[in-house]
Amino acid sequence: MTDLASTASVHPAAPRFRHGTIEAALGAALLLAWLIAAVGAGVFAPYDPNALDLVAMLAPPDGVHWFGTDHLGRDVFSRVIYGARIDIWMGFAGVIAPLVVGVTVGLIAGYFGGLTDTILMRILDITVAFPFFILVIAIVGVLGPGLVNYIIALALVAWVAYARLVRAEVLVVKRLEYVQAARALGFSDFVIILRHVLPNVLGSITIYAWTDAVMVILAGASLGFLGLGAQPPTAEWGVMIADGQPYVLQAWWICLFPGIAMVTLSLGFILVSDGLSRRLRVSS
Amino acid sequence: MSLVSVQGLSVTFPSEKGPVAAVRNVSFDLKPGEILGIVGESGSGKSVTCRALLGLLPRRATIGGRMIYDGRDLSGPAEIQAVRGREISMIFQNPASHLDPLMTIGDHVAEPLRFHFGLSAAEARAEALKLLESVRIRDAASRMDAWPHQLSGGMKQRVLIASALACKPRLLLADEPTTALDVTVQAGILQLLRDLNRESGLTMALVSHDLGVIAEICDRVIVMRGGEVIESGPVRDVVTNPQHEYTRLLIGAQPGRLPQMAEPQEAPAGLVDLKDVAVHFPTRSGGGIVRAVDGVNLSVRKGECFGIVGESGSGKSTVARTIVRLITPTGGRVMFEGKSVADLSGADLTAYRRAVQMVFQSPFDSLNPRMTAQQTIAEPIWRHGLASKSAAMERALELMDMVELPRSFATRRPRALSGGQCQRVGIARALALSPRLLIADEVTSALDVTVQAQILRLLTRLRKEHDLTVIYISHDLTVVRKFCDRVAVFQGGRLVETGATADLFASPSTEYTRDLIAAAPDMDQAMAERA
Amino acid sequence: MNSISFIGRRLLQIVPVLIGISLVSFFLIMMIPGDPVRMVLGPRATEEAVTAMRQEWGLDRPIWAQYLSYIGNTLTGDLGQSLKFRIPVLDLVLQYLPRTLFLVAYVLVIALPATILMAVIAARNEGRWPDQLIRVISILGMTIPVFWLGVLFARYFGVKLGWFPVSGYGDGFVEHLHHLFLPAVSTSLWLAPLLTRNLRAALIEQTEADYVAASRAKGLPEGYIFRRHILRNSVLPTLNLLGVMIAFLIGGSVVVEIVYAVPGLGALMVGSVLGRDYFVIQGLTLVYAIATVAITLAIDIFTAAIDPRTSE
Repeated sequence: MTDLASTASVHPAAPRFRHGTIEAALGAALLLAWLIAAVGAGVFAPYDPNALDLVAMLAPPDGVHWFGTDHLGRDVFSRVIYGARIDIWMGFAGVIAPLVVGVTVGLIAGYFGGLTDTILMRILDITVAFPFFILVIAIVGVLGPGLVNYIIALALVAWVAYARLVRAEVLVVKRLEYVQAARALGFSDFVIILRHVLPNVLGSITIYAWTDAVMVILAGASLGFLGLGAQPPTAEWGVMIADGQPYVLQAWWICLFPGIAMVTLSLGFILVSDGLSRRLRVSS
Repeated sequence: MSLVSVQGLSVTFPSEKGPVAAVRNVSFDLKPGEILGIVGESGSGKSVTCRALLGLLPRRATIGGRMIYDGRDLSGPAEIQAVRGREISMIFQNPASHLDPLMTIGDHVAEPLRFHFGLSAAEARAEALKLLESVRIRDAASRMDAWPHQLSGGMKQRVLIASALACKPRLLLADEPTTALDVTVQAGILQLLRDLNRESGLTMALVSHDLGVIAEICDRVIVMRGGEVIESGPVRDVVTNPQHEYTRLLIGAQPGRLPQMAEPQEAPAGLVDLKDVAVHFPTRSGGGIVRAVDGVNLSVRKGECFGIVGESGSGKSTVARTIVRLITPTGGRVMFEGKSVADLSGADLTAYRRAVQMVFQSPFDSLNPRMTAQQTIAEPIWRHGLASKSAAMERALELMDMVELPRSFATRRPRALSGGQCQRVGIARALALSPRLLIADEVTSALDVTVQAQILRLLTRLRKEHDLTVIYISHDLTVVRKFCDRVAVFQGGRLVETGATADLFASPSTEYTRDLIAAAPDMDQAMAERA
Repeated sequence: MNSISFIGRRLLQIVPVLIGISLVSFFLIMMIPGDPVRMVLGPRATEEAVTAMRQEWGLDRPIWAQYLSYIGNTLTGDLGQSLKFRIPVLDLVLQYLPRTLFLVAYVLVIALPATILMAVIAARNEGRWPDQLIRVISILGMTIPVFWLGVLFARYFGVKLGWFPVSGYGDGFVEHLHHLFLPAVSTSLWLAPLLTRNLRAALIEQTEADYVAASRAKGLPEGYIFRRHILRNSVLPTLNLLGVMIAFLIGGSVVVEIVYAVPGLGALMVGSVLGRDYFVIQGLTLVYAIATVAITLAIDIFTAAIDPRTSE
């Protein structure tokens, strides 16, 4: 008797399901670690992040200053820990603001269609015509540098991705018979959108939002680096890298550690997004 | 000697809950020149068996047993690749997705010719044209450079057949080749397959859920259930003298064998009247107009079961949606108890919503995946303010009893329910507002025949108990014949004819209705004709 | 025949977008908190000077008149004067533009072949080690901040090893290649992973498509099926993403240009924002938007040429 098992590779679906879970858990652990560090920065950071120590300028990492000090003698480790507060806040606020705008627009445009849809989509077309980062810089440029203005700029610019995603999903869900049934049962549009449409489009938005957080943090840090985001002496990772740039040859640690911090935080977000999307795909 | 011999075939898929056997110890033989039918309901393993022969199962599947083709053991990928196309070819259920959207019709057919027979581009093109003509594609020369999306479903299936025949196989596997097609189109494809078998001796295995289709063209049949072969033999023997209890159940559930459920009665009072109703849409690219429904006049009487039959694009569903006011007609009026439905608003509209309810086609899509059965059924009751939320949940349980759904399923979500159970939830939800008119739009077309029989029985009982008027929309003439008191036939958005069911079937007054009746596959009739 | 009408329709759709773009860039200046004239002239400017500048800028006229003259000027190529450089904004843009375009093209030349190679390897080995490795690389690539990598690269490969210049653009094609190597590589390290993820997913999705099973049933060889059917169908979604990404890239070049001191549009933009050179900001925003619209249009036409379904 010949066994035909050789035609099929041994790659069962069950471990793949666990895979997604492991990824998501790893990502969540990274995020949680950073969240704890940020919240408890006052406890974990050995120094005041802005305390100058002109005697210990550009000191390399050692037992006293774990990550060394910068050109003003500030403790890099403490600044990285405090920086987490800024960058995590930026990640969450910078996702939620455009998410709320975009989901609202997408639900309304997709569900009602017609003229409403046409007008909203034209506004969307115009917004996407501007390169994301350029429009953010331009808006921050006229409103003035700073983190709050960055979040405002995001709400004005980054909503388009959510609006498109939600609208596309709503167009699918709207045709499904349970939404038709809800209409035939005489439920109001408000009830249908909120109870029957929204919960069923949230999955893909959630997955996208976790990836979007990475973009928001990277772009925000880039702004900080360019001098258009968080303003010195705020301990924000992008600002810290900018501070360390002139000294990177003799004091590599000033630039290196905030960068690693950013990579690990971003990794947390992406792993959660990836894990969730894999689980969603397997279960459907 | 047999062309194919399958011995103890088993197919197992891994899952979260451990391995699941899709096919268990299946053995059968295929003789040269015969048409073998493989019949079974969803999950019976009939398609998996068919795909295993050509190695088309996903990589994660584990396959056991022996498959021998013409003395060759198909024991591994290389052996299977050697017979693919040239010896065994296959056609599929959904012709649209089985054609590459970025390849022309002509290239689809020329492609295997160039590979298997080394024809030059020009030779392959000439040969492809002949093949397209042989599968009776009208105006084949001008269709050569058309794209798949420009063809109708029936034409796509013909292209798929031509493309499979281009390999000049000795065996053609046909996996539900007509399931996605209209009955008149199905009849044409079945005729084509039969002719291919008779004229060129092409051996075939036809997988179908429809015993009517099997009875029309197959010589022998194997009946599958839950991954196993239950019964096999010549079609006549199996149909007239089924040995296994499940086979008897399956045969008994054939629409033609169902008891007469219609009860025509004297009920002159009209409930719903459509007066010159039209629904026109602008075409997507703008400019033109799609006449989804045009100039429809009909009257549904109080207490009757009114059938609407038609093929895809006939406008039958649009009519249903117009009556429940999901679509606003662009012309004419829908009258309910003498009042124009379009003019209703406020309390009158709410009253109308309660009086007219609808059950939909797709068992899973018609339920919100995030709500439990009980929540789904209760929602309309409390949203309409007919009861408190907790009282509504209590009432939902009673409604579940009414549709014969065990109360233990109350907390299940659609994904944990079968198709038939989902449809019962949909019916209970529609009944929650105690409607007087129930519109059932293809409610059984996605279900297995045995489940269809149960749902029809349930609807008949509910109709009597609750004094419901029912509009039953279906593509299946046989079901309508058994279930409806009066029938309307639709074609291309227009009402072709209407009349009492018995009269209409006995003496159809239009050619279209005659064709439709003739094309509907019916097991008993097919057997009678072959005798 | 069909494609001409498709392009015509597409061009027609662009008109409202262009009007919208002009409105946004016009109102961008209006968003400046406070009085732009005072911001430029400083708090101690005399009332006469303020009024004079107001008149010069046309700020004393009604908004619609200002907008109309803005449109009129823009259509004739007049984007205003740079407050800092004292030359027309258009001249400034034309001077800086080629460097950014060169950089973008350079990035694409590096990133696209890498993307296709990695995606194909990953998709054909789905779930096995090459796929896992490429997945890890692409996730890392997405999380590494380009400017941080730029800083490290510039100091290490540029200053310490002295392999590459760390600023400027150089003279002549070969010099350009040399000068922009590090900027192009650091940008590609971010772009390629993004595209790879997308193309890999598209390839795997298409591998499971029904028409692939149908092709196999006809006995066509795997390699041929992959090239002729799977790859072609996967290119379409990735092409759309590429369009978005090129637009993104033009914007994203800002950071790289600053890090490597490349005198491109991005560097000009940041300089103008920091120096409150409002008309340059306005002009650049407009130019960027028009470039994006042009790229999107090009991608759409290209898609329509490949996909017979879009032109109907």
